[in-house]
Amino acid sequence: MAEDIVDVLIVGAGASGAAVAYSLADTRMRILCLEQGDWMNSSEYPSTKMDWEARQFKEYNIDPNIRSNSADYPINNDESPISVVNFNGVGGSTILYGAHFPRLHPSDFKVKSLDGVADDWPVDYDLLEPYFAHNDRMMGVSGLAGDPAYPPKQPPLPPIPLGLVGETMARGYNQLGWHWWPSDSAIISEAYEGRDKCLNLGPCMSGCAQGAKSSTDINYWPAAIRAGVELKTRCRVREVTLNEQGMANGVIYYDEDGLEQFQRAEVVIMACNGVGTPRILLNSQSNLFPEGIANSTGLVGKNLMFHPVGFVQGLFDEDLQSHKGPQACCILSKQFYETDPQRDFVRGYNMQVSRGAGPVGTALQGYASGNIPWGSKHHAAFKKRFDHVAALAILCEDLPELHNQVTLDPELVDADGIPAPKINYQISENTQKMLKHGLARGEEVMRAAGATEVFSGGPVRPAGWHLLGTARMGNDPKTSVVNNWGRSHDVKNLFIVDGSIFVTAGGLNPTSTIQALSLYIADSIKKNLANLFD
Amino acid sequence: MTNNTVITSDNPLNNTQQKNLIALLDVLIPASDDELMPSAAGLDFIPYLHLHSAETIPILLQLLDHLEPQFCTLSPALRQPIVEQLSNTQAAQFRTIVMQVFACYYQTEAAQKGIGLEAGAPFPRGNDIEAGDLSLLDPVIAGDHGYRKA
Ligand SMILES: Cc1cc2nc3c(=O)[nH]c(=O)nc-3n(C[C@H](O)[C@H](O)[C@H](O)COP(=O)(O)OP(=O)(O)OC[C@H]3O[C@@H](n4cnc5c(N)ncnc54)[C@H](O)[C@@H]3O)c2cc1C
Ligand code: SF4
Repeated sequence: MAEDIVDVLIVGAGASGAAVAYSLADTRMRILCLEQGDWMNSSEYPSTKMDWEARQFKEYNIDPNIRSNSADYPINNDESPISVVNFNGVGGSTILYGAHFPRLHPSDFKVKSLDGVADDWPVDYDLLEPYFAHNDRMMGVSGLAGDPAYPPKQPPLPPIPLGLVGETMARGYNQLGWHWWPSDSAIISEAYEGRDKCLNLGPCMSGCAQGAKSSTDINYWPAAIRAGVELKTRCRVREVTLNEQGMANGVIYYDEDGLEQFQRAEVVIMACNGVGTPRILLNSQSNLFPEGIANSTGLVGKNLMFHPVGFVQGLFDEDLQSHKGPQACCILSKQFYETDPQRDFVRGYNMQVSRGAGPVGTALQGYASGNIPWGSKHHAAFKKRFDHVAALAILCEDLPELHNQVTLDPELVDADGIPAPKINYQISENTQKMLKHGLARGEEVMRAAGATEVFSGGPVRPAGWHLLGTARMGNDPKTSVVNNWGRSHDVKNLFIVDGSIFVTAGGLNPTSTIQALSLYIADSIKKNLANLFD
Repeated sequence: MTNNTVITSDNPLNNTQQKNLIALLDVLIPASDDELMPSAAGLDFIPYLHLHSAETIPILLQLLDHLEPQFCTLSPALRQPIVEQLSNTQAAQFRTIVMQVFACYYQTEAAQKGIGLEAGAPFPRGNDIEAGDLSLLDPVIAGDHGYRKA
């Protein structure tokens, strides 16, 4: 194996790893991706079983510490009010994601210029627009053109149904004169590219048995593999290695039998997400980089951003059939997305309307909130709530702060003995004010929509699903880890394509932007092939 | 409470515990007055716990230990205050078990039919939902919701 050199080695087969692999495939270079998890078997997903709700809580739990599959690594969240959630396997976290698929806004790339906080990105919306569009086609995105909150864009598929939840909430937004729009969703509303359309099952966040949710194991990966990319599963990378010239020359990994292997490579691309990538970089220590590879600034792992989440639920007299339809995708509102000097915080948040829970989820939430008791009043209370609840999430923009960070845990290790990531994170005062504002507005719109009872809360703890900022991009090598096309300032054949490179977080789900960046970086690599390391 | 029968790995309960469990389940979720919803007494609760939450079986055993052997012989009206007391004195264990009972109950065919669902796995059956009236967007399009130029 030691003599077997590949041109490009990608670490991680999730959202960004798949996109970069697919795009680079047309160079006909020898491309290998190492992924610690395995291929998914969709016939095993919970929704194929009668006891799907219980299965969601165990082997498909969004929290890797609870799920504890062999592909998972532990994460120490003790010093964080928000815990990291993910999935490790071909497709990465897109296996469990909600597939709510908005793009960052043009203003998100310019927060320093517009609002005087954090930093501007070295790229902007216009530059990324063709990559957003390409990614929408590759993933299969449903939505409706014409949203005034964005520059013009045309999702390839019509929007997924609003359902009674969407219509009811839309009326509430209209009554208040607030913005709303059908969500862009990485779920196919019509048959597309050999995949069948969404069946409105509901439990998208434990894997889509229908293949309608656009996870990268069923779109990008088959295309990349057909084009010649090699994907090896159950291979966990421990560190990126350096040669004497200070260039990356491969990775050390553990294969499926737990045996240590060395894979040589001309170019290494990290795609392990905003926690997995800094973990491996920090663990890649050498004389040249005693604090971890590509970390001369000390910024690797720092500036972790999550999007703290608040939830608002409304109870309606009408039967909204709310357990039906894609859980996380319905309509959204950008009414409070931008900075308003009248408010006591900068930046803003997205309101993401979602659908109600299944029967078990309804019963458990109702019991936890004291609304569905045991005993003789149980049935009436359950009936009042099941299918009668609409929900919305307040997704707050988190600004980069050095003290919010991923480090290596001094004691906790994974099954191969690699140090686990440790999260140190605090919610800033700005975000707390934003969350409070969002919860109050969420309650307002629930009432306007006709809810008879409203509950809200947050920040939600197991909501660290957006992992951003821990190896930020920038033009200045003193204040950023990678340049404006994802190449490490320190190690010129090392690239990062996942959410680590975000400069700021925006206030919305990031995967569309992560993948657009990944395609853009692949394109930049292709354009610069002749002088890639200059 | 002492065990008076052999405990197998599949069913860790003795006869009395088994009867008390059935009685307890019936208090937690009794049949509905209209009889559309069954009582939880009919649940295969122990096999369910084995499959989905084996770590809660010892908690259930502890809880059952707090019930007198004759609990199952009492009328429903007399069981109710005893369970209420149990919910106060053994609050954490009680909550854990109630949550498992709820989860088990709503995954049975009878309960799903009772709440008006077609019983069974969601896939490949699927659901129909309303496309929704997109003319509701007219005020949004007419309104002042343009994006912030950067
Ligand atoms: C429950 C949940 C809901 C979500 N909902 C949404 C949503 O609605 N919309 C949205 O935009 N985003 C959502 N997200 C986030 C979205 O899934 C991520 O933004 C996206 O998948 C990140 O892509 P990535 O390539 O950076 O990382 P991932 O997709 O997480 O992929 C990283 C891959 O790297 C592999 N890896 C890590 N370390 C190693 C190693 N050492 N060696 C080998 N392989 C390694 C992992 O196994 C994994 O497969 C959600 C996430 C979760 C968990
Ligand atoms: S609602 Fe649609 S996308 Fe979600 S799991 Fe069901 S078929 Fe898949």
